[in-house]
Formats: sequence, structure tokens, C-alpha cells
Amino acid sequence: MGILPDEIKAAMQGVIPSHVVTCSHDGTPNASALSQVYYVDADHVALSHQFFNKTKRNLEENPRAMAWVISPETFEAWDLELEFVRSETSGPIFDIMEMQIEAIASMVGMKGIFKLRAADIFRVIGVSKTVGERLPLAEIPRAR
Amino acid sequence: MIPDRVVEVLHGPTWIQIGSRDEALRPAHTVAVGAVVHDDRQTVTVFVPTARSGRVLRDLTGNGRIAVGLALASHESYQLKGTYISSRPTDDTDRARQEARRAALLESALEAGYPETIARPLALGLAITPGVAITFRAEQVFLQTPGPGAGTLLS
Amino acid sequence: MSADPRDTSGLREQIAENQQVIDRLNRDLARKSNEVRIIQQISSEITSTLDLDEVLGIILRAMDHVLAFAHSMILLKDVADNVLRVAATRGYAEQGAGAQVRLGEGVIGVVGERRRMMRIGNIGASMRYLKTVRARMESSGEVGPAEAPAVLPGLTDVQSQLALPLTVKDRLVGVLAVESRTPNAFDELDEVLLRIVGNQAATAIDNARTYQMVEQLGRLKRFFSPQLADLIIRGGADDPLKTHRREVTVVFLDLRGFTAFAETSEPEEVMGVLHEYHAEMGRLILAHEGTLERFTGDGMMIFFNDPLPMPDAAERAVRMAVAMRDRAAELAVRWHRKGYELDLGIGIAKGFATIGAIGFEGRWDYGAIGTVTNLAARLCGEAKPGQILISPRLLPEVENLLEVEEMGLLAVKGLARPVKPLNVLRLRDPA
Repeated sequence: MGILPDEIKAAMQGVIPSHVVTCSHDGTPNASALSQVYYVDADHVALSHQFFNKTKRNLEENPRAMAWVISPETFEAWDLELEFVRSETSGPIFDIMEMQIEAIASMVGMKGIFKLRAADIFRVIGVSKTVGERLPLAEIPRAR
Repeated sequence: MIPDRVVEVLHGPTWIQIGSRDEALRPAHTVAVGAVVHDDRQTVTVFVPTARSGRVLRDLTGNGRIAVGLALASHESYQLKGTYISSRPTDDTDRARQEARRAALLESALEAGYPETIARPLALGLAITPGVAITFRAEQVFLQTPGPGAGTLLS
Repeated sequence: MSADPRDTSGLREQIAENQQVIDRLNRDLARKSNEVRIIQQISSEITSTLDLDEVLGIILRAMDHVLAFAHSMILLKDVADNVLRVAATRGYAEQGAGAQVRLGEGVIGVVGERRRMMRIGNIGASMRYLKTVRARMESSGEVGPAEAPAVLPGLTDVQSQLALPLTVKDRLVGVLAVESRTPNAFDELDEVLLRIVGNQAATAIDNARTYQMVEQLGRLKRFFSPQLADLIIRGGADDPLKTHRREVTVVFLDLRGFTAFAETSEPEEVMGVLHEYHAEMGRLILAHEGTLERFTGDGMMIFFNDPLPMPDAAERAVRMAVAMRDRAAELAVRWHRKGYELDLGIGIAKGFATIGAIGFEGRWDYGAIGTVTNLAARLCGEAKPGQILISPRLLPEVENLLEVEEMGLLAVKGLARPVKPLNVLRLRDPA
């Protein structure tokens, strides 16, 4: 199908933090920030699962989530309507995430400390560029 | 009662996101620029861009459940969960406050190490008008800074 | 059946939109084809040379001129250890050659360890995030203070890196890496292009290195035994042919009476004796792993502890000398029967020498120069038929092996004080 546009890939490099909202089965929403939403293919994204948390607990009760990403080039933002599919502890996406964590950890002197528990794979149900959230780049005052 | 540090953060250069859900438990999201803690230290007003917050506003008037995520550029983060009270269009006072927050967000992003080419559009590109002021009662406050202790209930 | 006029304009819009998509695809395709074509040309350049530095230079020039990567480097993995060494760079203020990266450290080290390409565009943001988590873990007591971060070659404040492992069959040859201070500097197309160059580069580099090793092996074999040459290559040690100083044990031997014998005998007889003598002594040199520095007619100089270090150099030298004396004695029986008055004399000394390739194009020798060689030659000259004279400096290392007797004072040119050599009578324990 291919629901994600190519231009969204820049927003999935983790240059600017993303957000995700989930909801427990008793109807309480949960809003948290994440460092990166990973592009898997035109219909899937992944989140790295390092620490067990409320977001993960919610997804186990209710697989729906809303993620927000912003491009560090055009500063356009997208809302991504997601459905949790599965957790992976091996495979290409897991490997990419793990390699990045290993590389950065060694660069901050924390080799072996951070463990990637899983790569959480989501199907993208809907994607929409946000409207009225950002000023056009031309209107932003330049540095003096 | 919202802890002192969290009040400080709410009034500071904080990146704010609002989470809601509809009758089928499908989550929705919007961003906010600026927040005000009322004297009772329990009621909070946040300011969101009208055009992109329609779904969240519908959810809030429908079931009232709101989650507000706060993060400083240093990754110090908190989350408030509570119940929606009311909303109204933003006025000049609100907008002035928001502009000040926007400038503060730019400064704190630069301090945290973001390059100017990203920090400037990221912070100053936040749209303020037309806006909606959403007021809610905070019932739970959580520590959300990544690492050990994330998820701890503070109050 | 007649078309509704309103439909036509909608159709026209659709065609225009489709045309835009087609144009964009064509432009992308043209760009990709062009880049692929240039890459293929570079590939043929790379595989046309066996000179390692040339190969590396071609690759990095291509990174710059064709793919517009301003900062690039190639690291090569040593055969022996788990380290990647910077072999060539482009776009950096300093050359940085020789800088090291351990497997598993930084982007380059992780790529080398996992044998998988890696692209990252948010290094600054990631480091800030992990540092926050680390600080929390430290203050909550979960971890101790951080160890020193890996010291990595390349740009400070790097934001984006793209690194590719260079492999031949299943072997890691090295890593090809590009980087930038701009976040998100590389995309999927860059990955594809790098992979194309990388595949060719890996083979070309491996071939060039193999050629380099074979060349060096060939050179070394002219000076040393094949086994020794092989050991030197595998050890990856510094080129022994470069001049250096080392403490060596030197053995000098020659045949008493050889000059007179050569003057009065038929050439065939002289060559016959020399041939046999060299063959027997040579066998013993190889057996004890000594380095034959020269042989001039009947004189031979052998030293121990270079080019390969040996903790038991003195012991080996003495054992070899005794074995040589025994063998020469057997040969002498036959020689004396033929009327050749030939007997072996040996001198052994220990000291520092300057060692390296001496000579000139087409006629190189692996030579050692120093007082120690003079002393060994002098001791050999003093030795009576069948005698092995050793310098007292060797005694501490070999006294348990040998029965010796002190000889009188000997003046030696170049030494301030005379020497009291020791005559080796026999091995205490013939083994």
C-alpha cells in the first residue's frame, strides 16, 4: 500500500524528539516523549523498547497509539495513527536499533550498560501532516 | 498538589504535548505552547493551536480524560493526568505569555546543544494564533525523565 | 458515448499530475544511472592497480568528487588483532593515519564487529539522551561512574555517520566511513552507492594487501629462511630491514688453514669442501634459528635475537657452536685423510649492534655492525683449531650449561680494556 510519504523519513532519524500517546483499557491517556520513531517500510514504523513503562503496558491492553514526528529539515510535522503489531527481539530493525545504542553508548563511556529489550513494530493506519501547528519557515525571524 | 519543581517547569521553557482519547479508546495528540498553574496549585491552563486541536477538544468535551507531557530540552520530564474543566479562545495576555515562552524555548534548546539551524525554526516556528486555552484539574503527577524512576508517581 | 466536456478538464489535471510524477521519477532515475555509471568507472580504476596506497586514494577521491562526501576514511583490520587502523583519510586537517578503533567502539567499531552497514544522523541528540539516562542511573546508584568514552578518529561534534564493512568472503578487511557535522546528512541512496563502491573496494584492498605481503615476503626470503620470513610477516612486526639497534649474541666461525688450502688445491676440491661445510653449518644455523649475516668463503657470522626476539639467544648460540664443532670434527676426519689441514674455530660475543639492510640496489645484505661483531671475529681469530672462545658477558646465561676454562687477557681493537675469554670445553649435559 505505502501510506508513508518519502519526505517523512527525515522526521524519523531521531534528530528532534518525537511524542507518543497511548491509552489504557480503563480510558486513561498517557503522553510521553521518545527519541526516535524508526521507519520500517511505507506501512510500518518501530519504537525502541528499552525500559518497561506505562506506554508498553498500555499497548498490551490497547494497541492503538498516536505518534508525532517533525522533520529537522522542513519543520513540517505529522500525526501518525498506529496499531501495535508485535515486539521483535531479533531481525533487521532490532539489529539497527541495537547497533546504534552500542555505538553511542561506547561514545559516552557506557559500553554494555544499555540494553535494547525489543523493537516494537506498529502498522500505520493513518498519517496526516499537521495543520496550523507551525509557522511557515519564511515567517520565522532570522538570527541577528 | 503539583510539586514545586513541576510548577517551575510548567512556567519555564517546556515542550508540552497533550494526549486524549475518543470513545473507542483511540488516542489523539496536540502540542501546547505555554502553561499557567493556578493559585490552587492544582488547576492548570495550557494553550494549543486551534486548527490542529479539533480532535483533542472533541475528546476532552466527550470524556474529559487528559494527559499532559512536559519535557525540558535537558530531557527532564513529567506527566500530568487529570480531568478537563473548560476551554476558551486565547486572548492577548495569553499570546504575549506564549511569545515569551517561545523565546525561552529557543534559548534552552541552544543551551542544551541543539544547533542554531534546528533550534531556531523548532522553537520560533511554533504557531500561537489562533489558539485555545484548555483548563484542567491535575490529579496525578509522574516523573518521566528517561532512566530509573521514570513513571514514579510524585503526587 | 460522447465525452462530457467537464470530464476533459479533470482528465487534463490528472495527466498533468501524472506527468509531474513521471518527470520526477525520470530525473531520479537519470541521477541514479549517472551515479551508478560513474561508480562503475571508479570500480574499474580500483581493480586496475595493486598498489595499496593508490587503491585507497582512488576510493577516497571518488567519495569526494562523485558522491560529494566531504569527510571520508578507510580503516584496515590487522590480520592478528581486533583493531581497525586508519589507513587513509580525506577532508581532515590532520592525516590521522595510524589512529586506532577497537571493534565494538563507536559507529566504525560496531560496524566492524557486526559486519553490517550503519547509518546514523542524530549523534548529538542520541549522546545527549544517553548522557541523561546515565546521569539518572549514576545518581540512583545503579551504575558506578562512567568509564572514559572511546577516543575515536574523525570530526569532533560529528552528527551523521555512514559506515560500511569491507569484507572478502567472510573475512573483515576493513571499514569505509563517511561523516558530517550536519544532522541527517546521508540517505538511503547514499547507502546504495556506498555499497556499490564498497564491494569493489574490499576486493581491491585485499588484493593490494596480499600483493604487498607477498612482495615483502619475497624480499625477506632473500635475507632469511622461508620460515623466518613467514614468521616476520605474520607477526606484523616493524620492517626488520629498517635500520635499528638491538642487543644480539654474535657467533663468528671460520676454518683454520683455509687460505693455505685454497692456494694449494684444485678449484673443484676447494668448492667441494666449501659446499659441504656450508651445507652442514647452514643446517645447524636453521635448526637453532640463527640469522646468517654473511659468509665470505670460509668465514660465517651468525647472530641471535634479531629479527625475532629470543630470550634464550645466548644459550642457542652456544648450543649451536658446540654442535658445529662436533660436526666439523667429523668432517675434519675425512678432510685430514685427504690431506686438507682444516679445523673450525669459533668466537661468540654479546652486545648492541646496529642492524639493517646494507649494500646497494641489486646487492643487499642484512648486516650487523658494532663492537660486538669485532669482538666475536677477534675471539674467532684467537681460537685454536677446535676451540670455542666466548666473551665473559655470556657466562651468566650459560654457566649452568657449560664447562669452561679461563684464558689469558686478550686486547681487542675498539675495546678500552682487554678481555678474558672463556674456552668452552664441553656441554655439562649433552642434550
